[in-house]
Amino acid sequence: MNRRKFLTTTAAATAALALPAHAQARSTLNIFCWSEYIPQSVIDGFSKANRVRVNVENYASNEEMLAKLAAGTARYDLIQPSEYVVEELVKDGRLEEIDMANIPNLKNLDPKYTKLSYDPENKYSVTWMAGNVGIIVNRSKIKDEIKGYSGVFQDKFKKRIVVLDDSRELVAWALASLGLDINDITPENLEKAKGVLEKWLPLVKLFDSDSPKTALLNGDVDLGLVWNGEAAKVLEESKASKRRNMEFEYILPAEGAHMFIDSLAIPKGARNKANAEKFINYVLEPKVSVAIWEEFPYTLVNAEGKKLLKPEQLANPASFPPGDPKLDLFKMISPDRAAAIDKLVTDLKNV
Amino acid sequence: MQAALATSTSSRGPRRQPTWMGWLLMVPMLLWLLAFVVVPTAILAVYSFGKRGRATPVEFAFTWDNYFRVFDGTELLPLLRCVLHAAGITLVAILIDWFRAPSRLRHERVASARRVGIAVFIAALLWIVWSNLSEVFTGTYVRIFVRSIFYAGFTTLMCVIVGYPVAYFIGRARESHRNLLLMLVMIPFWTSFLIRTYAWITILNESGLLNGFLLYASVISEPFSMLYTPGAVVIGLVYSYLPFMILPIYGSVEKLDNSLVEAAFDLGAGPVRAFQTVILPLTQPGVIAGVLLVFIPSIGMFAITDLMGGKTVPMIGNVIQNQFGPARDWPFGAALGMTLLLIFAIAFWFSTRKQDGHSVMG
Repeated sequence: MNRRKFLTTTAAATAALALPAHAQARSTLNIFCWSEYIPQSVIDGFSKANRVRVNVENYASNEEMLAKLAAGTARYDLIQPSEYVVEELVKDGRLEEIDMANIPNLKNLDPKYTKLSYDPENKYSVTWMAGNVGIIVNRSKIKDEIKGYSGVFQDKFKKRIVVLDDSRELVAWALASLGLDINDITPENLEKAKGVLEKWLPLVKLFDSDSPKTALLNGDVDLGLVWNGEAAKVLEESKASKRRNMEFEYILPAEGAHMFIDSLAIPKGARNKANAEKFINYVLEPKVSVAIWEEFPYTLVNAEGKKLLKPEQLANPASFPPGDPKLDLFKMISPDRAAAIDKLVTDLKNV
Repeated sequence: MQAALATSTSSRGPRRQPTWMGWLLMVPMLLWLLAFVVVPTAILAVYSFGKRGRATPVEFAFTWDNYFRVFDGTELLPLLRCVLHAAGITLVAILIDWFRAPSRLRHERVASARRVGIAVFIAALLWIVWSNLSEVFTGTYVRIFVRSIFYAGFTTLMCVIVGYPVAYFIGRARESHRNLLLMLVMIPFWTSFLIRTYAWITILNESGLLNGFLLYASVISEPFSMLYTPGAVVIGLVYSYLPFMILPIYGSVEKLDNSLVEAAFDLGAGPVRAFQTVILPLTQPGVIAGVLLVFIPSIGMFAITDLMGGKTVPMIGNVIQNQFGPARDWPFGAALGMTLLLIFAIAFWFSTRKQDGHSVMG
């Protein structure tokens, strides 16, 4: 390094300290995403191909992401909200419009997952992956027939159950088990859901949204309600494992399951919008989408990528549920109702 | 301890007013306190009267609702019943003690009855409260406060029981060995606290090291559940905070004058008597420092209860963290935090007041 270069570098470093906004604008991308959702290999691949430094921060629930976003202390360029959260963010004007001209790979997406109800003109979000929440059972330990939520939450399975640590999910399951619409969050329905959850929650051994598969594979719990990608991973790893007592089954609740569609979106005020768009385009490449799917086997939404999958991969019942199950998306709810859900679950969990 | 404190302060001679140099030396600490204690506490206090916001975390308002929610559902009657119950047991204990050895002098009897009364009352109250926690404390969050205090108290007790002998041994070891032993206590700090907690998960889970060993040794025939139970939380807490108990006690033990212990033996005291009347009082400052260092952080701990308790054994730290995180209710979280702060402040004020009273008497 010659003296001149040294000086400019030092100057740049000083400027970066003083004015991070200007210095960072060129070469970084700050991603705020779900834990266990974007493989490190994909981030490294993008980083190398585009000479962009990628910073990743994780969250374990949409609400946690919203809390950090609302705090406004950290600036993110790319977030990964689920359907109802996109709806809320769009309505509040908190997302940047994505310039779809920069995303030619959009054509690879299965048209089923574009122009969805929460973003009908496909201006603010690009679908990342879809999935659902279903029942995973260790068949070598539990032989009972389990069809739905009420089959999971039985006294005989006390302290053998893992569930997602997500208030909205818990309430949705309770509503579905009562035959109610999972999006109909009225005070009366919440009162009914409370009655159900009061009986369910004491049976739970572990609340975990990050990685419920660990406890399942370690044998600490025998059944539970988890993301389908986690379940697919459990099915895959248990088959490969030589340990005994490792035979799992994935069941979609008969009462109706929650289907989620997670998107990539750019929050208002993002400093590296161009990089965010580059990243979106990168992950839509068929090969990249398959690399993501192989690590996190949710439901692949990339039609071109799906063509690359092997038949046995397409046969994983957790990733691609067979038949035509009843699946419902979450809809945006008012902040008062969101608060009511949080209060209900917090109070019940702490009994 | 109070007597020791009193003598140590009086031995320093008359109190002098600090000079401007003294104040100057204090400036960094005062600034630190201002920036990291006073200002955040003030912000917390303001938040705690606000309302849950939508796009911003807090909507500023003045409402007591958050505090009402902290104490929501609290009934005093069950608590009163519980106190009366404990008082009844205490009365019986005092009567038994009173007629135990009639040859004693009156003031001996009174002193003994007082001692027994206080001890029995506290023990009975704790036992009754703990075994009927959900009936005594009907309010969800008050119950969590009480439960957290119990868990933290139990953790502290375990730390004293395990840590005191270790600290005593290290403190009395040969000087050449002492540093090595101290190093062994400190080594875990070289690794991240989270990694150490995950290590416990691999030890305690049902296909983990401990179950594997017990199965192999045929002690058990089926793996037993240890992870994600209250027991696991206490193990995690004791493990994490044990060094904070050992180090201050070690400090006191190291300073312990051996000639005093020898004098006790020369005067005919047995090991128990020597420990009780000489060693323990002289090392008490270390124990008290250790108790504070363990008790206060373990009340607010949330990472261990999340990771090792499976989020099913909530302590107040978890609830507060959840309010600032997924539940997005900062004002309520702030109200819980302020309540915790208030409890500490009252407890501290109470304990110093009691100490003052004693030192005046001494």
